[in-house]
Amino acid sequence: MKLYKLALSNIKRNLKKYIMYFFSLSFSVFTAYTFFALLQNEYVLMAFKYDERYKSLLTSFGIVIMVFVMFFLISSNKSFIKARKKEISTYSLFGMTNARIGKLLFLEIIIVGFVALIIGIGVGIFFSKLIAMILLDISLVSFMGDIEFTISPKAAYITAIIFISIFSVMGLSGLRVINKFELVDLFKAHKVSEGRTKGAVIFLILSIILIGFGYYLASGSNPISVVNSSIPILVLVIIGTYLFFWGGLPKVLDIIKRNKGDYYRGVNLISTSGFSHRMKSIGTVMATIAVLSAVATTAIATGYTLYYNIENDVYEQLGYDMYFYGGQEKVLDDVEAVFKKHNIKIIKKLTIQRYTCPSSIEVSEVENSYFRITKEDYFRVYPESLYNKLMSISRCDYKPLKVRAGEAIYVYPFLNDRHRIADAVNGQELNFKDRELTVTSTIKSRLLFFGAKHMIVINDDDFNHLLKIGDITDTDRVGNTYDKVTVFTYEKSLKSTELNRELTKILFASTSGFRTAYNLYEESLQTFGLICFIGFFMGVVFILMTASLLYFKQIMAAEEERHQYRMLRKIGLDEDTERKVISKRLIPVFLIPLLIGIVHSIFAMKSADTIVFSNMIANENSYITVLLCSAVMYGIYAVVYSIFYFITKGQYSRIVKTERK
Amino acid sequence: MQVLKLINIGKVYGSKKSIKQYMALKNISFEVMEGEFIGVMGPSGSGKTTLLNILGSIDKPTTGRLIMGDKDITSLNKKQLAKHRIENIGFIFQDYNLLETMTLKENIILPLALSGHKPGVMEDKLKKISKNMGITKVLGKYPYEVSGGEQQRAAACRALITNPKIILADEPTGNLDSKSGKDLLELLSFINNEYKTTILMVTHDVFAASYCEKIMFIRDGEIYNELYAGNNKKEFFDSIIDVMSVLGGE
Repeated sequence: MKLYKLALSNIKRNLKKYIMYFFSLSFSVFTAYTFFALLQNEYVLMAFKYDERYKSLLTSFGIVIMVFVMFFLISSNKSFIKARKKEISTYSLFGMTNARIGKLLFLEIIIVGFVALIIGIGVGIFFSKLIAMILLDISLVSFMGDIEFTISPKAAYITAIIFISIFSVMGLSGLRVINKFELVDLFKAHKVSEGRTKGAVIFLILSIILIGFGYYLASGSNPISVVNSSIPILVLVIIGTYLFFWGGLPKVLDIIKRNKGDYYRGVNLISTSGFSHRMKSIGTVMATIAVLSAVATTAIATGYTLYYNIENDVYEQLGYDMYFYGGQEKVLDDVEAVFKKHNIKIIKKLTIQRYTCPSSIEVSEVENSYFRITKEDYFRVYPESLYNKLMSISRCDYKPLKVRAGEAIYVYPFLNDRHRIADAVNGQELNFKDRELTVTSTIKSRLLFFGAKHMIVINDDDFNHLLKIGDITDTDRVGNTYDKVTVFTYEKSLKSTELNRELTKILFASTSGFRTAYNLYEESLQTFGLICFIGFFMGVVFILMTASLLYFKQIMAAEEERHQYRMLRKIGLDEDTERKVISKRLIPVFLIPLLIGIVHSIFAMKSADTIVFSNMIANENSYITVLLCSAVMYGIYAVVYSIFYFITKGQYSRIVKTERK
Repeated sequence: MQVLKLINIGKVYGSKKSIKQYMALKNISFEVMEGEFIGVMGPSGSGKTTLLNILGSIDKPTTGRLIMGDKDITSLNKKQLAKHRIENIGFIFQDYNLLETMTLKENIILPLALSGHKPGVMEDKLKKISKNMGITKVLGKYPYEVSGGEQQRAAACRALITNPKIILADEPTGNLDSKSGKDLLELLSFINNEYKTTILMVTHDVFAASYCEKIMFIRDGEIYNELYAGNNKKEFFDSIIDVMSVLGGE
């Protein structure tokens, strides 16, 4: 029989085992093709080319994916070969040399790989239009269109080259695995201990300390120090995770084993000892998967949170759909005419005068931040009634303020550290000619500053009095009167592309400054849309690959554990108990890395909150919003993992149920 | 008192419609009395393993009934059968079949753990039985860390710990050297004498068989002959060899 015929018949015979392997190969090819095709797609190129940042982002993203695909393929290939130990040993027994067996396996990989390559690229081509459209749709506000269906030969070519080289590496690594086999080991494969490990308390404690310290650094409230310690955080948490799986978890199992009342229940005895027996061989994989899950969930959660909050953020920044300074007499009529022309209703419109007062407060340093108020600064001042009115017609949802006579509320725009600022500002006195106002509280908001750095809201009577005596003015230092501000809210503001274009033209020509929600929304989408997309894409790839890696490991284990179940059934293990044993045996393998990954991610999101989201999300407690958004993604991640768990359990049960032939 | 009763047990492999039907057992009937040490011998393919599997309720007979105590085992469902195996039957296999993921101790208490005994009870029983078998010192070790003889003794402990009504041994000496084999047989005799445990052993080893009190020979799925041990072991041994040579075994 010729070698390739044998290879073909092997594939046919092992079809069931091959199917998942084949699926993951095809999926890797699909991922690669999709990615390269995106890089080649002219619409995508048009959308993102002008920004060099994107190019480097996409490239580094591509490298991460490729490295991971390689790790995944080589690792699953090794598992696959080990799962076929018996078969390989039979060839060896009949006098096939290792080189020839290696050649045979290599042929199998090439045949399966070739088919996977064709199918992966085929599916990639089929979905390329859809994926390009998803990318453009979430990153471009005005993307309406239909893009052409394109086949990218260059992407297919690059993908093929990369995978053929990966397959070759797989073949070589497979040969190494075979060479390490001793014929005698092959025949008693299931008798050889995989290397139990009792673990060590020191590992457990050390891993908890390392991870705990990493978490502590990550949850610091100061954005600058969090950014600075990001590398140490990563190192601490990653090392801690590996230590935990190498020595900590085995120790935990050892402790569980000592609790006889629980451990000596039949189901626990079998499943715990089985799991603990495999700990050494699967520990590294589980740790890697925990780390990757953390990366994937964080990427996906960041993407989703960003995307979910872009629209909110636009209004948190602007408050209205449009506002402009000055030129009211010239443009107001034109603006109204444009709205009429496009048949879009204005919801609210208000023109106000901007007022300021000098600063008599000096706050030189709030620890670890750039916050400061000097006597050279000035405050934007609003009477309580006007402030509340402006807020009520805005797109945001702030509670109306109540300010008593003699008091002032300080509004600060960006900083996270509410308590420190409140401590520094509260109780400070604003001195005017004939009265003093005390700052009694602070709120966080980015609205209504209209060019100022600091803002206060005071009682109406105080305001009128101070305006009369000239402490509050509508002129700047040189004596020029401030331009008035007109704010607008109108319907379909984020969708009216044409309207926005015409408004922009008018306002650009005749006002001294303007902003529209549409323009800001478009900018934000361009910045964040790609990040979101990369987050999703990477998340999906990582989820599927880590989960199928676990699948392979368990299927391999099932082959080796089959004889144990056979014996257990003889002793008197009934089907129900067997099901329970299998569940308990497999659940930790999927659950522990997932949980640790998610916990890591929760703390990573805390850092992301401190650095990015707390400035973006207006809620008092932005971390809650971040967590809620993340929870959606964690949920999806968990669902995908459970699906893989059930597939694995089904296959595992089938394998251990078949009697040895 | 009888422990086991077989009434016209038959086993057919292959579906009823197919031509390739194969009768592994034909109308086998016999009784096993309490405290007996029975050997089952026969050439390969004679049906001894099938018989053992049916006795152990691992396999179901095609016809006939198997009675244990006052229960008809053939009428039990799968779950009841599993329970029946744990409570009433102890197995000793040729390749020990200890779980390599567990220590000897955990292996031994496994049947008790599966039937939900309290840890205290398990410990007591374990202590007693492992002392009798002389493996107290290696209880904390894993199967691959101890000798074949110790593994087989641990397997015997596992079979005994539930106080089963009968112990079924499938070629228990097959994997042992002659010294360990002899040790194990003495052990089985000891169990038989000390605990009055009924033992049924399938073997094709004449030396092993000579430890039994009674030997049943089967050929082509039928009981061919029975031999009882007298006082003279040598004589018994010789007569076993005689029957075996007629049967065409070793």
